[in-house]
Amino acid sequence: MVKKTTLLYGLLAWYGLLWTALAIAPRDRQDWLLENLLALAAVATLVVTYRRFQFSTPSYLLITAFLSLHAVGAHYTYAEVPLGFWLQHGFGLSRNPFDRVVHFAYGLFLAYPLREILVRLAGVKGFWSYYLPLSGMLAQSGFFEIVEAIVAQIVSPELGAAYLGTQGDEWDAQKDMLAAGFGALLCMMAAIVAPTQSQKTASFSRHVGRGVESKRLN
Amino acid sequence: MNSEHAVTFIVMFTAPVSASERPGVTQNKRFLLGLLLWYVALSLWTAYKPADRQFWMLSSILPGLLVLLLVGTYRCLPLSPISYVLITGFLTLHTVGVHYTYAQVPAGAWFEQAVPLGRNQYDRVVHFCFGFLLTYPIQELFRLTIPLRGWLLYYLPVMTVLGLSGLWEIIESWVAQAVHPELGITYLGSQGDAWDAQKDMAAAMYGALLCMVLLFLWRKQRSAASRPLARLES
Repeated sequence: MVKKTTLLYGLLAWYGLLWTALAIAPRDRQDWLLENLLALAAVATLVVTYRRFQFSTPSYLLITAFLSLHAVGAHYTYAEVPLGFWLQHGFGLSRNPFDRVVHFAYGLFLAYPLREILVRLAGVKGFWSYYLPLSGMLAQSGFFEIVEAIVAQIVSPELGAAYLGTQGDEWDAQKDMLAAGFGALLCMMAAIVAPTQSQKTASFSRHVGRGVESKRLN
Repeated sequence: MNSEHAVTFIVMFTAPVSASERPGVTQNKRFLLGLLLWYVALSLWTAYKPADRQFWMLSSILPGLLVLLLVGTYRCLPLSPISYVLITGFLTLHTVGVHYTYAQVPAGAWFEQAVPLGRNQYDRVVHFCFGFLLTYPIQELFRLTIPLRGWLLYYLPVMTVLGLSGLWEIIESWVAQAVHPELGITYLGSQGDAWDAQKDMAAAMYGALLCMVLLFLWRKQRSAASRPLARLES
């Protein structure tokens, strides 16, 4: 078994390499910069808060997987990712579905880390520990769509359209949120079916934490 | 089982536990029945000749379910009267909007004449009120069921409202696509605005944020006001 810290350094190195490679010649520099502001802020937050709040290893894997997908999307601008074109031809779709896939991945991959935060930080239990992550992913998706709309209205319209990746669909925002919500729903169903190691360690560390507290009080 | 036990048994299953411990339960109950009566009367009024029967049917499903849920959970999970007032307030606004169809509510049309904003703003106001009026009941629900503390107590209700708003916009788009398009547009009340969904969600979020900020300030002030008294007592 690999040590957790080694694995995390590996993940960080993987993301650093991928990010650098994709930063060299992005399709559209300004769009790339816009897309990467939040991603970089997220990585910085994870690194800075590592001492105070550690996610489980599966969570870090999931977060890295999502950030990798996002880095690819930002490099090509979402509407023109080669993998998306391949999917479009393969399934006979009218548009490049890569951004929809990443919205789905957002819900699927990040609902679990969010659940971990809620369970460990807020002591959320039972029904709420499955509903709130789902609601949270929907909320963040909605928030993202609002920010997108504001950015699209501020930045010049043609870049706005590329950044949005609405690709002419009037229901794009709703479909994106639905994709994220559906991903989160699948993730939570998986979490119900298979209570994982991190859950056990989470409850274990809570008990240990309580033990330490009571010892201090005594 | 002796008679005393039987009485406790009956009381346990007939009276809401937390409410039965407080005085003035009957007044509370009467007050809540009054709220229910108000909502039912209002619903009957809107059911009589709504501007658009199909729209009225579609939009009354969710509020109806919500009211049934609240009545059903009153025994095991009673909310505070203020929460029920806020929920009734929101449902009232929604019911009025449904009666006229949102884009044609007289109050909105009147406001549009006074301040020309290019569209009837009533639905935007109700989206804002969704956040502003329902965030407190949601926070109360959390406080009753999850041992929340600190910033999460203020963050999670806002998140939940935003999540529900997103879900609402998704359902709206489904209905708009399923029902014939011209009704879809009135149902949405998007009134030709491409960013309508985002603006609606933002309105709900601002409402929720405002509610939480006001609540936070009020609680802070109240705890600050009670501190000198505590010092005097000790």
